Amino acid sequence: MTVPGLVRAVLLCGAALAVAGCASHGPVLEPIVAAGHPERVELEATPFFPQEQYQCGPAALATVLAAAAVEVTAESLVPEVYLPGRQGSLQPELVATTRRHERVPYILPPTVDALLATLDGGLPVLVLQKLGAGPFPGWHYAVVIGYDAARDQIVLRSGTERRREMPARQFLASWDRADRWALAILQPGVLPPAADFTRYMEAAAGLEAVGRRDTAALAYEAAVRQWPTEALPQLALGNLAYARGDLAAAERGFRAAARLDPRDAAARNNRAEVLRQLGCVTLARREIEAARALAAGGPLAAAVEATAGKLAAPSDRDAAGCPAD
Amino acid sequence: MKNRFVVYMLCLAMLNVGSPLVAQAELVTTLQAVEASARTQDLAAVNAALAREEVRAQFALLGVEPTQVESRVAALTDSELRTLAGQMAEMPAGADALAVIGIVFLVLLILEAVGVIDVFKKFP
Repeated sequence: MTVPGLVRAVLLCGAALAVAGCASHGPVLEPIVAAGHPERVELEATPFFPQEQYQCGPAALATVLAAAAVEVTAESLVPEVYLPGRQGSLQPELVATTRRHERVPYILPPTVDALLATLDGGLPVLVLQKLGAGPFPGWHYAVVIGYDAARDQIVLRSGTERRREMPARQFLASWDRADRWALAILQPGVLPPAADFTRYMEAAAGLEAVGRRDTAALAYEAAVRQWPTEALPQLALGNLAYARGDLAAAERGFRAAARLDPRDAAARNNRAEVLRQLGCVTLARREIEAARALAAGGPLAAAVEATAGKLAAPSDRDAAGCPAD
Repeated sequence: MKNRFVVYMLCLAMLNVGSPLVAQAELVTTLQAVEASARTQDLAAVNAALAREEVRAQFALLGVEPTQVESRVAALTDSELRTLAGQMAEMPAGADALAVIGIVFLVLLILEAVGVIDVFKKFP
């Protein structure tokens, strides 16, 4: 390929991008709002922390944390989320910092519908944008605080602007290029509007995984109320009970989970282990065999085999008071 | 005897405080259960302990205050640690990523021009 050919290639690439960027017309928000959202929402009470250079991460995170009743400022978050060598903040660190402040970091499904629903429910949303030009070329965090369907505008707290309106199409393009990453901060025990079960449980389990067990417990209890037929919140409460050494409560949690979803290998594995520790070997063996069949070839197979190994040795008779099934 | 017991218990307690992430070896954790059912299946490709070491080292290298490194690492889950360990230099951050992409593009162009690679062949 010759050098003039290269120049042409570059120009063609640029032209293709430009065309893709403005290929479609018409309003973005109106058709989505018509499916059941208010015409216009603006969370005016959302606090504002203007950003210093490169520090949109701390500023945007302070905005949503403060809206969730955490006492922080953009400045106080700098040592927690700012990465000097990258002149910015990374998504996992915004999530982790939320945990350190005992809040639930809920990552929204990547749809405009979920974004609007969260705003309708009164929660501002931290978004990652990839802006091509303007005062912040490159990656940028901002907080969506509202929208106006009639004017097809998104309202943001962004950078040094307390109230920035952005045409919805332009916002969507910048959000698309950041894989539509969006974070809402929940107070423990509060569910997000239009909650997605798996995403919510992932957020709550993250708290448990880093040792924030009390906050995780509140989040799981809210999940049990919202999704009484799901097994996972019961498994989670069982795990918390186990972590504080309450084997009987743990067994109840795992049993409830296994009843709700008989195909839940994790619940059966955990119940088998707790039953073993309680001296109920017969039932433990039955549970671990069921878990084995369910987990075969899957990501939990190794954990199940480890439990099965401990139950393989011949052992004494069952302790008194073991459950029948 | 009693004192020694107290000391042992304290040691155990401190070990535990220092590493809230040490897995309960025998149970499937809630996060494992969610992730097993969710989209992410990149689990255990990288050892979590190694990932933690690498993230710690990169944090220090990228200018995180030494007093903050430990608490920042402690708030990340295993899968986040794995993600960061592999991509901390390329992940979206602040205002400099465009420059990174620019540099990558420039390098590709130079390699193409000197004939090392040939990726732009679709264009005449």
